[in-house]
Amino acid sequence: MSIDDLRSRNLAPRKLIRAPLLRRESIGQAYHVLTFDAPSDCRAVAGQFTMVRGAEWGDAPLLPRPMSYLTAGEAPSILIKVFGEGTVRMARAEPGEPFELLGPLGVPWRAPTEGRRQLLVGGGVGIAPLLFLARDLADAGQKPVVLYGGRGRYDLPMRHDLKGICELQVTTEDGSRGTKGRVTDVLGELLGGDTEVYTCGPDRMMAAVAKMCAERDVPCEASLETPMACGYGVCLGCPVPLTEGGYIYACTQGPCIDARRVDWTGDHAPTRVDTEATS
Amino acid sequence: MSRESVTVGSLELRNAVLTASGTFGYALEYDDFFDVAELGGICTKGLSLHPRPGNPPERICETAAGMLNAIGLANVGVEAFCTDKLPLLRERGVTVIANIFASSVADFVTITKRLDAEAGVHAIELNVSCPNVAEGGIEFGKDKKMCAQVTAAVKGATKIPVWVKMSPEAAEIAAVGKACEDAGADALTAVNTIRGMAIDSQLSRVRLKNRTGGLSGPALKPIALRIVWDLVEAVSIPVIGIGGISTTRDAIEFLMAGATAVQVGTANFVDPCAASKIRAGIQEYCEQKNVTVRELIGSARR
Ligand SMILES: Cc1cc2nc3c(=O)[nH]c(=O)nc-3n(C[C@H](O)[C@H](O)[C@H](O)COP(=O)(O)OP(=O)(O)OC[C@H]3O[C@@H](n4cnc5c(N)ncnc54)[C@H](O)[C@@H]3O)c2cc1C
Ligand SMILES: Cc1cc2nc3c(=O)[nH]c(=O)nc-3n(C[C@H](O)[C@H](O)[C@H](O)COP(=O)(O)O)c2cc1C
Ligand code: FES
Repeated sequence: MSIDDLRSRNLAPRKLIRAPLLRRESIGQAYHVLTFDAPSDCRAVAGQFTMVRGAEWGDAPLLPRPMSYLTAGEAPSILIKVFGEGTVRMARAEPGEPFELLGPLGVPWRAPTEGRRQLLVGGGVGIAPLLFLARDLADAGQKPVVLYGGRGRYDLPMRHDLKGICELQVTTEDGSRGTKGRVTDVLGELLGGDTEVYTCGPDRMMAAVAKMCAERDVPCEASLETPMACGYGVCLGCPVPLTEGGYIYACTQGPCIDARRVDWTGDHAPTRVDTEATS
Repeated sequence: MSRESVTVGSLELRNAVLTASGTFGYALEYDDFFDVAELGGICTKGLSLHPRPGNPPERICETAAGMLNAIGLANVGVEAFCTDKLPLLRERGVTVIANIFASSVADFVTITKRLDAEAGVHAIELNVSCPNVAEGGIEFGKDKKMCAQVTAAVKGATKIPVWVKMSPEAAEIAAVGKACEDAGADALTAVNTIRGMAIDSQLSRVRLKNRTGGLSGPALKPIALRIVWDLVEAVSIPVIGIGGISTTRDAIEFLMAGATAVQVGTANFVDPCAASKIRAGIQEYCEQKNVTVRELIGSARR
């Protein structure tokens, strides 16, 4: 695979598949990797997402949950952080339990530019679509820089999977791993004229990253996070405000988008209480 | 006449399963999933005279066995619908129900006249029951005089059949339905969402930016079923049932209560093929029981 191959991929048609859970790997209490046994090859591209729901959930929780693909293929996987009812159930799911996955959905990461150095900035569970991208880049012979931040050492799931395929830099707010502070404390040193940034994480982090990139004229792609009901463009429940005015719908016109187009100071869906993982 | 077909006034539908306005886009989003022309019909997102951006986020939130929405009738406007969407729907042979919304009787009429100039609109559904807009929504729908006035004015402006969508919040819904019938409505559709709200206790904050939103999904079903039953009692025009229909069994319950057809809403978010599966399920049920869908209608009342 080359960068050109990454650029020329067509998006696969969307489909609702029924897929039993193949395995669930827990990374402490808060993070879990769920791998599914897909009936056919899932041709998702890095940055795309799937709407996930237990096939036996009944009427509640009602709506499927949007989750970025961590990997595609015959055994697609997702990385979840436990928040509420839906992710609690996912975190308890046992192999064989049937799930329904609608996907692949949304606009993937913009294809990398030949001659630029890719800098991937992730926070917590936001690492999922970035790890997918980092693996693609490594396969294409690139060595991206990954800047990965968390509250503490337990909020850095999958960091071992990043070793070897990128230059990894870690920050934690409590200093328990890597540099003490936030990703934005380190980002300035890494932003050069030839870099391009991809970011996924809490809204406030992405807003700060986007601002720094804009000030230095560095291209920046962000993966939007907002509540979704359908994930495929019909409910109109996922608007994100644009600097040019109006909204885009994160599920079909995102989630990956040029960060400069997003009005980070406008009305966004309220941030959630995101508790620090303690194991 | 097939085992599956039903008649709503002068309109014969392939089958009794339609999709509900605002939960199915403009029906052009389904190419990857199934051929929407197989359905009894599709109701478009609510169309207004001019395009509307909709409410600021957060617009949706999940509740027990349901969800709240305050989309604010974001839509492309009737003109863009007629030029960009309708020709494609026509080409595909889709039975199109145009759901329309306005804040004055005059605007309802203007939108109707625009649609009347096009081929391929099989019925017009008047949304006089949207809970999420400041004017022209639910306040129209709760008042039988206003409902009758809008219905009569729209009827006078088109030959296309006119359906009126009922608000579950109307105090005397049977009287509202009767007033619409008397004003010339060809059918009633029931129900729209009912207002609710949700609070995030961790952040001590109202969840929806609009504060209130319309409740839909399985939680709405018993209320919808009761209203359909009451309307069927009160009017002699067809009633189309909507509210929390997710399975074949749900749809059959509405038919048995006397609904001539049903609309599938929130279930489309859980499974884009929900309406198609329900249609196939009803067909299978009828084959097994050796009945027609027409015979099912109102069977629980007899
Ligand atoms: C494109 C996209 C990709 C995502 N990728 C991942 C991922 O890889 N891993 C991961 O752990 N999480 C991811 N999320 C966030 C994830 O969807 C939410 O954490 C999850 O829906 C919460 O569900 P819950 O039942 O645990 O929480 P609850 O709070 O009980 O959820 C209630 C409802 O609110 C919605 N909701 C609440 N907060 C959010 C939010 N911030 N984003 C989206 N929906 C929300 C839920 O979908 C659900 O309908 C992604 C979100 C989007 C939009
Ligand atoms: C996100 C959303 C948007 C809706 N938009 C409209 C609309 O534009 N016009 C309308 O008449 N009804 C609208 N409705 C109401 C539905 O058409 C339907 O009456 C209601 O959701 C109840 O059915 P359900 O429980 O099957 O969803 C909307 C509902 C939802 C959930
Ligand atoms: S989630 Fe339904 S339109 Fe985006």
